[in-house]
Amino acid sequence: MPVIYSLKNVVKSRVVEDAGFRLRVPSIEIKAQENVALVGHSGCGKSTLLDMLALALHPDSADEFKLTPIDDKSQDIARLWQKKKQNQLAKIRRQHIGYVLQQGGLLPYLTVRENIELPRKLMNMPEDDSTRSIARVMGIHRQLDKLPGLLSAGERQRVAFTRALSHRPSILLADEPTASLDPITARKIMAVVMELVKGLKITMITASHDWAHVYKMDLRSLHQEAEVVENGNVYQSTFRD
Amino acid sequence: MFTQFNKIISLSFRDYTHEWRMSGCFVLALASVLAPMMILFGLKFGIVSSMINGLIENPANREIRAVGSGRYDDAWFERFRARKDVAFVIPKTRALAATIQLKSPNASRIFSTEMLATAEHDPLLVNVASKPQGYYQIVLSESIADKLKVHKGERVDGSLVRQFRGKRERVHIDLQVVDIVPVSVISRKMVFVSLDLILATESFKDGRAVTALGWSGDAEKSTMREFPSFRLYARSISDVENLVKDLQQQGINVKANISEIKTVQSIDHNLSIIFWIIACVGAVGFSFSLGASLWANVDRKRRELSILRLVGFHGGKIILFPVLQSMYTGFLGWLLAVLMYLLAEQSINQLLAPSLDIDQVICYLLPQHFFWALALTMFVAATAAILGGIRASRIEPSDGLREI
Ligand SMILES: Nc1ncnc2c1ncn2[C@@H]1O[C@H](COP(=O)(O)OP(=O)(O)OP(=O)(O)O)[C@@H](O)[C@H]1O
Ligand SMILES: [Mg+2]
Repeated sequence: MPVIYSLKNVVKSRVVEDAGFRLRVPSIEIKAQENVALVGHSGCGKSTLLDMLALALHPDSADEFKLTPIDDKSQDIARLWQKKKQNQLAKIRRQHIGYVLQQGGLLPYLTVRENIELPRKLMNMPEDDSTRSIARVMGIHRQLDKLPGLLSAGERQRVAFTRALSHRPSILLADEPTASLDPITARKIMAVVMELVKGLKITMITASHDWAHVYKMDLRSLHQEAEVVENGNVYQSTFRD
Repeated sequence: MFTQFNKIISLSFRDYTHEWRMSGCFVLALASVLAPMMILFGLKFGIVSSMINGLIENPANREIRAVGSGRYDDAWFERFRARKDVAFVIPKTRALAATIQLKSPNASRIFSTEMLATAEHDPLLVNVASKPQGYYQIVLSESIADKLKVHKGERVDGSLVRQFRGKRERVHIDLQVVDIVPVSVISRKMVFVSLDLILATESFKDGRAVTALGWSGDAEKSTMREFPSFRLYARSISDVENLVKDLQQQGINVKANISEIKTVQSIDHNLSIIFWIIACVGAVGFSFSLGASLWANVDRKRRELSILRLVGFHGGKIILFPVLQSMYTGFLGWLLAVLMYLLAEQSINQLLAPSLDIDQVICYLLPQHFFWALALTMFVAATAAILGGIRASRIEPSDGLREI
């Protein structure tokens, strides 16, 4: 399988006064249709890494940060950030990536249906009932005409999932997608997602700290370790293959 | 891309109506700053301007009077009539020759009244529709019309007396009152007549015949006419000083209300300055308050703008989102301000008009003033939103998303 993400020596620091945080990725390769899990405790930088993989956050430095979507040419993401090619990054996001945020991410003024279909509309994809069928398996098909503000937290999470899949991206990033669901629903939803991901040949990267409950089959988890460096001023977290 | 463009328009509108309470507050805030400014300008263009114009246009201030008598022929009058800075000039005959006795059937007394020659464009008769034509029409000042108890359209008897070859002679002429000049324009007892009638009167008093009126006497004189005096009005008060100078250079002794003119001019000047200061302070204040609130609104929208960017909208299209919303606010706020203004205009005009006893409207704006208010509002709204939007589009999507 071809390599989709290839990261080498990617560093992202977040320093606020004395409390510094540094994320290091010496080397990660993620292949097409892989199912990767980012496991680690709260605050270890899972969301930060996912944001970078979603092209929503720029790395401070990177020897290599390549994204090679299936059926498309390889993109030097590090260079695009350097050159501030925001529109090109937006285009790659739009075409290839579905991102389920840890929380929120829905537009409050659009109905659930419109939220879900927004990425499709942006890509001029025709209307079909795939949205409806995904919504049905996610158990939100009765909520389609509501505004997101009227949904429960778990329902909102499922809407976000449905939206991330609606435009058939080849990469799905999910940040604690089941955090606000009860264990039974969580298992059910994840099973459904796994099936969809397999069927649609999607590469999925999920972050979670509550790994015991979540499906274990087929997942490759990245190794994460943390240390305190620079006289205890910087908390450094490292992710590697 | 066209899809994104369309989508942004509809999304910005959806958000705007979804947040209708917030939008309503912005619209209301805008209108309540704009409407008082419009009312202030309405008053400036209404009552203040018309009062100032009244002073500036006041014929009494524009009149240049000859002192003593001279000799002015037709050519002299032609020359002055042609001048750009002269609004009106007409001959005056000797005061003694220009007196007529008026008698009406409604009043018992006979009134000896001074005649003034008039013609088209006479500043004293601007609001008088029909000017006296030929020998038989006159316009009365209100004070003499009251004494004679006559109204527009009625007839009075005019009579002239002369000593001719040792005998006292009186002729009568049947005159029609074609109009009456209000006392606000001229307070004296005065009768306006055509130049023909005043010349006939002078001929009669000099003992000559006027065949057109059937008055006998010595043979009519056909030499060049000359007049001892004139009635002259400058085009505007600012022309008076120059005209006086020119006349004095020709050796003509004249008088004008120079000091009054100076006062009027300085009032006009100072009021204009005051209004411009208020206008500038108002416009700047308005711009800042509108700009600040719209700018703050863009900041409030950061999270949603970040979501749009995450979904894949281009940065440039994202800026359009707050810009369009500001435009909605600008337009609706302007509309509301116009409604508030029109309401105030109606009330002011209806409440104050009777007590002020003038026929001008007190508060009004021209259509282009409304347009300029809209243009300023839209410009400020768009500028503030563009500046805020550029900032919002520069932040990374992930930063906006982290906000709680
Ligand atoms: N914008 C920021 N500015 C400064 N520090 C930040 C910022 N965003 C995140 N951090 C810090 O970076 C570290 C990693 O944050 P991150 O959200 O990636 O953790 P996480 O692994 O997703 O945690 P959780 O499991 O609780 O979601 C945290 O210590 C956080 O305080
Ligand atoms: Mg997180």
